[in-house]
Amino acid sequence: MLMRLTGGRVLDPANSRDGTGDIWIRDGRIIDPPLDGVRADATYDVAGKIVMAGGIDVHSHIAGANVNTARLLMPEYHRAAQTRPETTPLASAGWTTFATGCLYARMGFTTVVEPAVAPHHALHAHLELADIPIIDKATLSILGNDDFLLGLLHARESPAAVSDYVAWTLDATRGLGIKVVNAGGAMAFRSNVRSFSLDDVVPYYGVTSRQIVKALQRAVHELGVPHPLHVHCNNLGLAGNVETALATIAAAEDLPLHLAHLQFYGYGKEGERGFSSEAARLAEAVNRTNGLTIDVGQVMFGQTVTISSDVLRQFNARAQAHPKKWVIFEGDGSGFGIVPYAYRPDDFYNAIQWAVGLELFLLIEDPRRVFFTTDHPNGAPFTTYPEILALLMDRDARAEWIAKLPREAIALTTLPSISREYTLSEIATMTRAAPAKLLGLADRGHLGAGAVADVAVYENDDDKAAMFRNAALVFKNGELVARNGEITSGRFGRALAVRPERDRSIDRRMRSYYEDRYGISPDLLVVPETAIDRPDPFELVPCVT
Amino acid sequence: MDRAWIDGKAVTLKAAIAEAAKLLGASRFPLIAGLGADVAGARAAIALAERLGAAIDHMHSDVLLRRLDSMREAEVMITTAADARTRADYLLLVGPNAVAACADLPHVLFGHTGPEADGRLRRVGWICPDRRAPSAFGEGAEPRSVGRDPSELPVLLAALRARIAGRPIGKTRAPKPAIDALAAELAAVQFGVAIWSATDLGPMETEMLHGMVADLNARTRFSTLPLGPADNALGVLQVCGWMTGFPMRSAFGRSNPEHDPWRFDTTRMVEAGEVDCALWISAYGTAVPEWSAAVPVIALTSVDAPMRRPARVTIEVGRPGADHDAIEYSAAIGGLALSAAAKPSNAVSAAQVLVQIATTLRAGT
Repeated sequence: MLMRLTGGRVLDPANSRDGTGDIWIRDGRIIDPPLDGVRADATYDVAGKIVMAGGIDVHSHIAGANVNTARLLMPEYHRAAQTRPETTPLASAGWTTFATGCLYARMGFTTVVEPAVAPHHALHAHLELADIPIIDKATLSILGNDDFLLGLLHARESPAAVSDYVAWTLDATRGLGIKVVNAGGAMAFRSNVRSFSLDDVVPYYGVTSRQIVKALQRAVHELGVPHPLHVHCNNLGLAGNVETALATIAAAEDLPLHLAHLQFYGYGKEGERGFSSEAARLAEAVNRTNGLTIDVGQVMFGQTVTISSDVLRQFNARAQAHPKKWVIFEGDGSGFGIVPYAYRPDDFYNAIQWAVGLELFLLIEDPRRVFFTTDHPNGAPFTTYPEILALLMDRDARAEWIAKLPREAIALTTLPSISREYTLSEIATMTRAAPAKLLGLADRGHLGAGAVADVAVYENDDDKAAMFRNAALVFKNGELVARNGEITSGRFGRALAVRPERDRSIDRRMRSYYEDRYGISPDLLVVPETAIDRPDPFELVPCVT
Repeated sequence: MDRAWIDGKAVTLKAAIAEAAKLLGASRFPLIAGLGADVAGARAAIALAERLGAAIDHMHSDVLLRRLDSMREAEVMITTAADARTRADYLLLVGPNAVAACADLPHVLFGHTGPEADGRLRRVGWICPDRRAPSAFGEGAEPRSVGRDPSELPVLLAALRARIAGRPIGKTRAPKPAIDALAAELAAVQFGVAIWSATDLGPMETEMLHGMVADLNARTRFSTLPLGPADNALGVLQVCGWMTGFPMRSAFGRSNPEHDPWRFDTTRMVEAGEVDCALWISAYGTAVPEWSAAVPVIALTSVDAPMRRPARVTIEVGRPGADHDAIEYSAAIGGLALSAAAKPSNAVSAAQVLVQIATTLRAGT
């Protein structure tokens, strides 16, 4: 099957392309234009429209025991009545795996990373991912509060031992990368520690949060895992926590590091209420630290439910639960906390959080190093992406919102003074080219020959939110999956994973460790291909050698 | 050899599936009940229910929703058996079936001598114990017990929570000094875990106990390990959650899933004559429907258990984790895990039958 999208404005920053032209697709891949005279089997006239690669989301909580617990916690917030694309089973439901795939696809997103999978719950996460239609997905496996790693560091074992353990975990759990969440914090909380920062020591193990982060950063790098260590810093959400983020940035030193949802760390202690924006300082630190990438975790106003593996932080946030209910699940290595929350435009603190996110987007100069996330659903549901893109591209839209927010909050930010507007090309870089590179997905995020034919076509609408809410056409692996926001396919994508080399003696060691310590077999947390009821459910992403 | 029956007469599997599809296809409002199945079986059952516009319920929904209600209406701290094994210096058992519910876990919970952090002996307390239960705790770890009869549980838990918070209490059957002693002991632990069988505690007791644990966490560390119900209810709950957004006792009658614990209660629906066909799934054992009304039943069971009224169609299916590999809820890790078949056989799985019913229905439309 030879397909041609003709006459659109092709925005492909990875290949330095911005101009009117055609895209040719054969057998699910983009190809060079064939010789003159070759006719396509199907031609789509996209003249006047914008053509980009499919969007890639590097951090969105879409599946797993934590997400599912949030669903079950909040029955009253499901959108029970939605139009039902007939081709997709169960798409009639609201917040389900099936709806997740459809809602992403209609915005032109084709690959999404679930960033918080506890190794013991990897099978559950992959079962849910397998029920998310259309898009490809991947997981990050969480380490850094687990007894085995902390034990290795406590015993001062070699970096090679840490690397073997990381490689074993990635293989068993089929992760694309490693995330560390408030390194050591959840473990310290078990010993009744209530606040935990970068240089605090985990009781019993005698290692600091910094040592855990550095050990994992090095292991991920040395294994050749393309995605650098994905860090959720200590002290999330607290006034004055900009110092923690700056210290973590400084700790990155010469190796790559990714800081997740940086907005939640952009807070100072200025003003009468001791809570202010320090986004400008943070952005400046990001700008001058090569090799550092961040995603934002933008806040938007409305009801949501926060889902985090930062058990300590979620426990401390329980008093702010709205409605008043919450769950803390501790588990082995990494647990999670679910706390419903409503961001209100008339709330001083929430207004500052909203502004901090936008300041980071606008003050970080290189769109290849700042990533577009709401930390779904923690800052806002991913369905708010079109509205956020509009705010980034239109300073007047920002001014309108600023006028509605508490003046004393806005006065503690730099947002009103920022005139930058993102261009479409910068949006394409931030949501396509850059995330593909960050995750090591060479055949995604661009429209050059050989790329997977994940393509989003948008109307060139002045109303940017409308433009990005319902893509005119979306192709996944060359198949038309959405047209004007309507889902046209019930296909299922795959989960992307890495499998770095390891010394196999770690396998025997893990077996005796699990049997001795937990009285269980480590096979309980291995995700076998046969457990996933889809053909060919995984795709191997090569490591850097 | 497949084992399948229509009206008690042995038939081929194909004929039984065709008859089941015919009954379900002709039904105006079918019910998929029992739902004792592994993840694959639950997935297939829920997909079939969506296609049919059916209601879905689990045989243990009463107990399951009681557990869930304390979460979706209040506050819950929870952990895993493996975490309790490695961290807890204190286990608080609640209700007579607390130890029996740990049938798969004694090696995890009781065979170990406390948290490695300081090597102290793990202590055990038991509220309303089963005094006939064989000691599972090892030498020198006999539990401190309070309360004799399970009917004391509501008052006892309320009194204990009040004393932990330093509030006065009124009259209780258990002696007040014993309650005070237990309250003081709980407040002094480093990491305690409360363990109970979900069948033992009503909704108010469950919420009270979770509230007590939340209170204890103001100063020290404490969590909970509720156990059960059986028949993979917790695994099916997870599948139902991601496929529909809701727990069981939901229905697709109006095309989008609706959840209503009263309206979609199996026994109530059948007794009230609201459903005209029931698909009963019990792949784990001998559970049979509790209703007495006459409704055509298609039964998928692993054991030929006598029903109050004979089923129209019966298909014998394999037992998950015994006849075939199965993904189920594992109490040891507090999540879904793969159990390899203990005695692999070629018995057809519930999931395979359900998928074939759906395929037959599709072919017929």
